[in-house]
Amino acid sequence: MNKKKVFKMLAWISSVILIIILSLLGYFYFVPNYKYLPSKNKFTKRVAYIDPEKSLLSEGFQSCNDNIVDYYNSRKGDTNGEVASYSEGKNGLRKYILSQYRNKNYTDSGYLNIRFIINCKGKIGRFIIHENSLNLEPTVFSKDLKDQLFQLTTQLKQWNPVIIEGVEMDSYMYISYRIENGEITEILP
Amino acid sequence: MEKSQKFYLSLFLAFIFFGCQTNQEKAIEASEFGFHFYQGDPTHMNAFAYALELDSTNAENWRELSVTYLKRGIPHNWKKYYDKAIEHDPITWQPWRGYLYLWFYRDYKKAIADFNASDTLTPNFIDAPQGHSVDYWRGIAYLGLKNYEKSNWYFEKHIKKETKDFGEDYVDLTAFLYNGISYFESGDYEKALLNFNKQLEYGKNLSADAKFYKAQIFRIENKTEEAKIIINSAIEDFNAGYFNNRNYVETLRQIYLEDLNDLKKQLIN
Repeated sequence: MNKKKVFKMLAWISSVILIIILSLLGYFYFVPNYKYLPSKNKFTKRVAYIDPEKSLLSEGFQSCNDNIVDYYNSRKGDTNGEVASYSEGKNGLRKYILSQYRNKNYTDSGYLNIRFIINCKGKIGRFIIHENSLNLEPTVFSKDLKDQLFQLTTQLKQWNPVIIEGVEMDSYMYISYRIENGEITEILP
Repeated sequence: MEKSQKFYLSLFLAFIFFGCQTNQEKAIEASEFGFHFYQGDPTHMNAFAYALELDSTNAENWRELSVTYLKRGIPHNWKKYYDKAIEHDPITWQPWRGYLYLWFYRDYKKAIADFNASDTLTPNFIDAPQGHSVDYWRGIAYLGLKNYEKSNWYFEKHIKKETKDFGEDYVDLTAFLYNGISYFESGDYEKALLNFNKQLEYGKNLSADAKFYKAQIFRIENKTEEAKIIINSAIEDFNAGYFNNRNYVETLRQIYLEDLNDLKKQLIN
């Protein structure tokens, strides 16, 4: 076989391999980005995403990096892993909120949910409030109740961050206050 | 030439054949793709939203969209999507909604209503969302409402059926625990002890919860020395990880180390 033929064959093989690689790359780019997309209301951010521009107390708050996990994230078998929690535990959180909260003859009922970020150092910021009725439909709580619970929540200063394989991570967290006639009946999760 | 014509014709026909997926088939393909991604990630959400555009009757896809909001504390979106799942498949998803109302919203009455609805939807079958019968879940929901009589009634029913069908050692240990807690809170310490002992018997004598309640019963019965021994054992079990808890949310009547230490202090003083 002369050199020219060998060169030609190698060129063909290289071209075929290149086409296969480009096709695969194209396919793997196309499928998640274009193939399974709804025609309207496309999701561009994670469901848990909190926009720093639209959240409360985001000024001065810094996440440690862009990979923000969820509060319950852990890896199976990770002996150095921890889910996020309040530094004084759930009992401590409940005790603080219930001892400080005053029902000023509120008549509100529903779920006041406050979502935020716990950064890798256990500090919290970027708060978002969701107000829902007991039937889980959007509602509006009295301003004083909402302000009071927001203030109390922001005073829960120190948290334990999520730890995955020994590394402290930023995470999304939420506290849900179930309120019946102005009384807090449950604090979740 | 003729051969290549046949070849291209076959290719074309194959393309037509395999390219003619129904919307349902395309929706299944999209949801299978979506399941490979982290819940709530845009790729995951878009795949299910796309699948539902193709086939809006797929209840499981509505449920999958909803769950991302449930776990992140966004109730109105969870409800909006989850109710669609029930609209298309109430037999599967209504008892499941009861389970979610029970744990994520602590709405015991709504949970019971959904569990009761499953009795009508499947009259000859006891549904078991998340691996437990609706009777077990009703036992917990009535405990949440402090309706101890109904709580115990459902737990006894659940335990009796499981024992008859599979044997007492098959009964989930938390059924004995919660049945015992319900008896304990209603003041029936004899039946409470019976259930805590069953839990310990089938659970290798490892349960901070059962021992914590037993210590309280011994204390009430002025058996202080026995109470001290068992609370120490409860603390050991707790530290070894043998206590009742669940993922995502605090469980009902969850105990913490400080609860055990507080009881120990009270017993010493």
